[in-house]
Amino acid sequence: MADSSNSDPRANPDQLLVQEIRQGKPDAWTNLIAQYEGRLLAFVESRLRRRAASEDVVQETFIGFLTSLPNYDTRRPLESWLFSIAAHKLTDYLRREGRRPAIPLSTGDGSDGNWELVGKGRGASSIARSGERKGLEAEAIADGIQQQIERWQKAGDWKKIQCMELLFVVGVGNKQVAEKIDLSEQQVANFKFDFLERLRKIVRSQRLSEDVFPELHEA
Amino acid sequence: MSQHFSDADLEAYLDESLSSDRMADVEAALRDESGLADQLATIAGRRDAGVHSLGAIWRRQRLSCPTREQLGSFLLGVLDPDHSAYLQFHIDEIGCRYCNASLEDLREQSAQAAATDTQTRRRKYFQSSAGYLSADD
Repeated sequence: MADSSNSDPRANPDQLLVQEIRQGKPDAWTNLIAQYEGRLLAFVESRLRRRAASEDVVQETFIGFLTSLPNYDTRRPLESWLFSIAAHKLTDYLRREGRRPAIPLSTGDGSDGNWELVGKGRGASSIARSGERKGLEAEAIADGIQQQIERWQKAGDWKKIQCMELLFVVGVGNKQVAEKIDLSEQQVANFKFDFLERLRKIVRSQRLSEDVFPELHEA
Repeated sequence: MSQHFSDADLEAYLDESLSSDRMADVEAALRDESGLADQLATIAGRRDAGVHSLGAIWRRQRLSCPTREQLGSFLLGVLDPDHSAYLQFHIDEIGCRYCNASLEDLREQSAQAAATDTQTRRRKYFQSSAGYLSADD
């Protein structure tokens, strides 16, 4: 999805809209609600299946947007920011309803759980990092993935995008991916290798820790 | 019956970004399968420890999501066939929750616009012809 990194608000209507909302202009706020309430309502209602409750969650989302406005970075797409607030509000609602369990942080075996990285032998304390650092790592990888996707889009190489989405976004194995999109297993393996190799290069060039991206070393 | 959920599925579940049907499947399975709760707890712990998942980054930043304009063109059927086939895949096979919501909204808007057009047209017919209405003598 195109980002909103252009710093000129005139070139980006969403940035201009947010700027006016920050100035307290009611028309701008009305405009934002009109533009986004439909898709937010569809997002929430697809889960709750109840109109009144869904409208309540969307209302909380808009309030959440205004209260989090000082933290909103206008380089981030407005729609994604609103969806992420809606997802949080929806999660809170489902927890209150008892539909969504709170997740314990360990497996309950008295250890730290089995999240440690395979073959690296490092514990949580050695890789626990600041949120800012985590954000930078995620941004660097996201930029790398985005560049590859744009390259494939320009070349009309849709199969490669489908292949990587199935592998990493859905978590399907090579064999199943091959069957789903009519490729050979070897082609899937080759595409995956090239994709990961490019990301490994980005991680190394930006001197990020490879340990926090375990999938980069998967076969 | 026990269902298989990949780590990527569960990452998306934690972010409330899995498709609605799949979210409901995870919730149902969590009530019956203690192993699934352990799998989820492991993933949550790994995230808290700062380990990244490519799928979670991809989903959160919506790296392959079409723009709203592209979704509109998709609905109108004016995208080139390969691009359109990819969007269909993204919506159905990947089950992108955000794009499905956006598409639903666009469909709704389109239906409302059509309804408004119909109202406007009927009003115009009425207003241009009402003067010829006369009661029978």
